Order: sequence, then structure tokens, then C-alpha cells
Amino acid sequence: MENQFDKKLQDIEADDALFEKLEDSEKDSEFIAVEAKTYFQDAWKNFKKNKLATIGLIFICLMLLLAVFGPIFSPYTYDQQDLTSRNALPSLQHPFGTDKFGRDIFVRVMYGARISLSVGFASAFINLIIGVVYGGFCGYFGGKLDMVLMRLVEIIYSVPTLLYVILVMLIFGSNIFSVLLAICISGWVGMARQVRAQVMSLKEQEYALAAKVMGAGDSRILFKHLVVNSIGPIIVTTTHMVPSAIFTESFLAFVGIGISIPQASWGTMASEARGLIMNQPIQMVWPVLAICLTILSLNFIGDGLNEALDPRKRV
Amino acid sequence: MPANIVKDEVVLKVDHLKTYFDATKGLFAKKQTVKAVDDVSFEIYKGETFGLVGESGCGKSTLGRTIVKIYEPTAGSIEINGRDIAGIKGDELKSFRKDIQYIFQDPYASLDPRMTVGEIIKEPMKIHGIYKTEEEMDARVSQLLRTVGLKPDHIRRYPHEFSGGQRQRISIARTLALDPKFIICDEPISALDVSIQAQIINLLEQIQRELDISYLFIAHDLSMVKHISHRIAVMYLGQIVELGESHEVYTNPMHPYSQALLSAVPVPDPVKGKEKERIMLQGELPSPIDPPSGCPFRTRCPYAMERCAGERPQMKMYGSRQVACFKVEEENS
Repeated sequence: MENQFDKKLQDIEADDALFEKLEDSEKDSEFIAVEAKTYFQDAWKNFKKNKLATIGLIFICLMLLLAVFGPIFSPYTYDQQDLTSRNALPSLQHPFGTDKFGRDIFVRVMYGARISLSVGFASAFINLIIGVVYGGFCGYFGGKLDMVLMRLVEIIYSVPTLLYVILVMLIFGSNIFSVLLAICISGWVGMARQVRAQVMSLKEQEYALAAKVMGAGDSRILFKHLVVNSIGPIIVTTTHMVPSAIFTESFLAFVGIGISIPQASWGTMASEARGLIMNQPIQMVWPVLAICLTILSLNFIGDGLNEALDPRKRV
Repeated sequence: MPANIVKDEVVLKVDHLKTYFDATKGLFAKKQTVKAVDDVSFEIYKGETFGLVGESGCGKSTLGRTIVKIYEPTAGSIEINGRDIAGIKGDELKSFRKDIQYIFQDPYASLDPRMTVGEIIKEPMKIHGIYKTEEEMDARVSQLLRTVGLKPDHIRRYPHEFSGGQRQRISIARTLALDPKFIICDEPISALDVSIQAQIINLLEQIQRELDISYLFIAHDLSMVKHISHRIAVMYLGQIVELGESHEVYTNPMHPYSQALLSAVPVPDPVKGKEKERIMLQGELPSPIDPPSGCPFRTRCPYAMERCAGERPQMKMYGSRQVACFKVEEENS
């Protein structure tokens, strides 16, 4: 029976006409045609599709350039008074006009951008670091320690931010570092919660277990696998922290705690313009416009990133 | 079927292993434990494939994961090359991790989606500091990729660009990076297409022949287990109820549970299939939180006797076979 089969097989093999040569391209079954792309290349491609987010990003970049280089190239400084041209309307010499002391509003807005943006980005950065480490630690190790640490987070969260601010100002005085400290005391809490939730769900994933079986240490598993895989939500939360910090700073300056005069912040400028709102409403417009557009842009960027980094939200 | 088992060289010896989990809900509730693995003992020889079968939830995966210490054993010993690793931690444990690797069930979840194939395969090498330079590592990665039938230029690709079968081959390449002596395959083919399953099985067999690796092959597809394994253990509710040569267990199961399990294997021939009698089990798998007294299988066993409720049957030798059942004991005495 088997011999017969073998013979038949030989017959078939001998008859070349029955066979067709395989195309070279068909032999390569493991070939992948799609261009190799990293996660961030892919995200950038998706981000660019979002018009509002792109406009926001361009606006923030312009703002950053103006904040860093603007005051250097301006003929005026933020505290230079010119009593001969007080409350001037916008002109070629003073694009945004001058305030009640004859200070150039344009340079003050750019100087305010320095303070607002640095407070915004610095506090977001500090919150990011503390939140990721604290939340990652809690989520990864879990258990009783996690329970205690998360109750601590809830206590911090339950005290109003304004209370921290006033306390910090009392102790350290009104300056940019006190503002930063006050924002960061309770700001990292949201990030910590977010990262903890992510890490908790990811640590049961098989790739985390695989790393453990390979002999990876806890810090390697936590930071190289779990945190890296939560990078989407982490970036989105960070971008949303920036505008909220800018808003807090402006609000504090407006009500008179925070950056002290003559330093210019968008909040102090709005506060000073308030007295002249009936006569010189234009002076109020500039700082408010700067705050609004910056916060709006950052929120658009945050939403754009949220969509670009989360594959489930892609259309 | 792969041959050359070295019978007197035991690679893995599991002795009275128990893995219990705490399932107490809430702060003041009554303490509850899940006995996921309850007093299991067996040995695996060099170059051998040891099949482990049983229904979902019987503790197969937990047993595998306890052996690689993803879970801490509650009691018992796990000896690798004669050394007990049940209690060790830290650097001492790390040096043993090289010898014993694990292939996971889901090829979509077991590869970190943010790492390239190259980074994934290099990771174990980096952890153990096997190679000094990037070039050496790259060369080894290319070689491993070729071993599992992928192309070296896949090194910069991400896992989501591959199919299920390709991914499983990547994860096999990763486990081979450390030159392990022993690999636990936790249902490595159950998430794959039937046509791809054979590919992976053939690859595993080829690797075993070339590298003399032992496998613990966990599965619920009985015909595949019979094909690949030298010996089979049947597990029920955290315990091994029957253990023997693969062919013998398959053709002549002795434990009532093994008989029921094997009667459920479909037969390709419809005429023979009709002749075959299917043993239907009554009821559900009991909860491992509250297992039945005595023999764990007695609540569903068609031959359950009074004695079964009173004491737990121990594994007894019948020729080359080990079975834990009072009925078998009576028939053979």
C-alpha cells in the first residue's frame, strides 16, 4: 500500500508539467509591507489631523518664543515708567498701549507670559514626577501600604487649595516659588491616582509577568513596562495640569496674593486694569486675552493628545 | 515524537506543592482560602515533555506559575537540578530564572506593545548581563529570530504588526534567549488558528530535539497533548488524579475523571464516533474555596462510595501508572 503511494508520488514528481514555479514574492510569507513606525510617530500623525490642537500648539510655541526672547528685544522693560505717555492707546511705539504709569503693556504681557508659562510647566513637571513615582509605587506594591498611602492622598485632597496657598504665602512670603509650592502641594494627587489605577490594571498583564519570570527587578517592571505603557494617560493629565496651574496663578495674582508688584503677571495686570475699566477698558483686554487664549490652546492640545495617544479614540 | 529522554536525570521535581490564595472579602469577614494547587508531586526528566491536562479552573496555570514563582508556594518544594527554589528570593532566585522559562497563553498580551521585537528579545539578555556589547546582542537576536522562522530585519518592528502565530514565535525566541533547561508552555497554542497550531508545535518539538529542553505542557486540547507529550498528568481541583505514559493514559484511562475527560475528545471518523460512548459528568466543578471532603471528584463521580467522602485517596502505583482512586485500588487489590 505504502509502496504504491510512493511510486505514485514519484510519478507526479517526475512530471514537471504538473508544477508551476512559485513567484519569488510568494515565498516570502513573513514579509511585512507596512512601514515600521514608532508609537510617537503614529501619535504625531494623528495629532496633526486635529486642526484645533495644531493651532493650539502653534499658539503656545509662539507664546513661548515671545516669553523667552520678546523682553530681550523690546526697547522697554516691564517696570520702566514713562509719565509723559500714560494710558496711551495702541500705537506703533506701544503696540498694546501703556498703563497708568506709562509702562508698555506689550512687554508686560510678554513678561507675564514668562511667569505664567513657567509656573504652569514647572508645576506640571513637578506633579508629573511626584505623581508617577507615588502612584506607581502604590499601584505596583498594593496591599496595606497602598491603603495607608492612598488615605493620605485623600486627606491632602480634601483640604481646599486656597488654604494651602494662604498658609504657604504666610510662611514663605509672596513670590513665584511660594506660588509654585502652593500649587504642587495638592496638584500631584490627581496624577498619583491616575497612575495608580493604570499600574494596578497593567501589572496583571502577561508581559509584566513575563518580565518577572525573566528575572526583572521591581523598578524595571514598574518603570520600563508599566509606566511606559501608561504614557498616554500620563501625558494627557500633564497637559491638562498646565492650564489649571496658569489659571490658579492668575487668580491668586488678581486677588492680590502671589506675585508682588511691580513684577508683571497676567493676573496682576488684570487686577491693576480693573480700577480703570470705565475709562480705559482696552488695558483689561490684553491680559485677559492672553490668559484665555493660552488656557484654551493648552486644553485643545490636551484633547488632541488624548485622541492621538489613545488608539480606542481614533476615528 | 522526540526521543532521547534521560530517565535518571531529573530536571524538575515538585514535591507536595501547595498554593493557597487568601480570598477573604472585607476586613471583618470570615477567613477564606482558595486551594488552587493542593498537594501536587511529580518529576520531569531531561528532554521530556510532560503534559498537564484538566478543565478550566482546575489549577493547571497556577501550578505552572507557582513553579516559576510568579506566585509564592504555600508549602512543599520545587527542586530544579536538585536545588529547592521554593523559599529563595532576590539575586539567588534570579540566577535560577535563567534555567526555567515560561511561554504564555495569549501572544497578544505577553509582548510589551511599546517595545520593538529586538528590545523584547534583548530584555532577558540585559537583565542577566549575558552579553557585553550591543553588536553581540544584535547577532544573537538575529540568530534567535531565524531559529523560530522569522526574519532578522523584523528586529525593529512592533508586536502589533505581527499575526498571532508570529507573535508566539517571538515569545518563544525570547524564552530561548537565556538558554533555559526547562520551559513551561501554558496553553501556547490555544489562542491560535488550527493551521498555525501545528506550526508552533513542530517548532517546539524541533527546539527540544536540538537543545535538549524539557517541557511542562499545559493544555486542555487532549489530542495535541497526547501527540507532544511523553507522559501525561490529569489534574482535578488542584490535585493530580492520574499520571502515566501518554499513550497508556490516552488509550486506557483508569481514574473515572480521566475516563470522562477522554471520552469528550472528538473522533475524526463519524462511524467510530457514533460507537464511542460519551461519559457525561453531572454538576459543576466544585469551588476550590469549599472543596468536597475526601476525594475531590466524589461529587461528580459515577462510582462514588462511602469511603470516598471520608478520606482522601493517595496516589498509588499500578505498573508504570499512578492513580489516586479507591475504586481502582479495590479492583487491583
